[in-house]
Amino acid sequence: MRDNPVFKIVSKILFGPIIIYGLYVQFHGDYGPGGGFQAGVIVAAAFILYSMIYGLEEGRKLMPDWIIRSVMALGVLVFGGTGIASILLGANYLDYSPFAYKIYKAQHLGIIIVELGVGLTVFAVMLGLFNAFAGFKPHK
Amino acid sequence: MSINLIVLYWNYIIVIMLMMAGLYIIISNQNFIKKLVGLSIFQSSVFIFYISLGKVSGGTAPILTGIEDTVYSNPLPHVLILTAIVVGVATNALGLALVVRIQEAFKSIEEHKLLALKKEDGLKDIQIEDSKEDSAV
Repeated sequence: MRDNPVFKIVSKILFGPIIIYGLYVQFHGDYGPGGGFQAGVIVAAAFILYSMIYGLEEGRKLMPDWIIRSVMALGVLVFGGTGIASILLGANYLDYSPFAYKIYKAQHLGIIIVELGVGLTVFAVMLGLFNAFAGFKPHK
Repeated sequence: MSINLIVLYWNYIIVIMLMMAGLYIIISNQNFIKKLVGLSIFQSSVFIFYISLGKVSGGTAPILTGIEDTVYSNPLPHVLILTAIVVGVATNALGLALVVRIQEAFKSIEEHKLLALKKEDGLKDIQIEDSKEDSAV
């Protein structure tokens, strides 16, 4: 079934729009429904679709395991780093107010950075879970 | 009157239907993966219950608009369920990993086969333990 050209072409066409939709949900998250969790899952779904149609090896070429592991840690680093940055700027942990002169803009910036961290981690964890289960090889 | 109640409380009816469907799948299926699917349907019913409780009719997302008398939906259940969804994904992955290990160790993920294996093994275990105790004494 994997060699069916319909699947290959449709997944190729859908790959870009799914990621764009994920980014829309990511950057819309501060004003409406959306945010890092949902966006991470949507972007991961695009890569999972690719892996399911073209095989796990092709998917791993597209997004190697070391990148997944680094992105997982990078997201947590962005989230925690935002909190530490606000401590260094003289406010409480994860208090966004010192990031810009207007408090409204500061909150806006802070939420977007934190959600970016959440999105990166969720994306990498989802893809990592899929790869771990799909690439499972029984012992001996 | 009763139709009125159904229209008013349709979210509860859907939640109860989903919950019972999930519970039925858990107790009626022998396959562990199907049980996990049932568990996640059960879980979703609880999510929908909380989310629909937090909705205030006519309310918007809880962002300050500057307009007076704005009605906001209750954000607390929504945030709670956002966390619960993430935890649910993690527990699902853990459960699936356990199922994979069970398949690897016992070559089956059907509950009745595993229980039969456990019955055989259990008798052996008791005998081994008895002999060990005897030698220790």
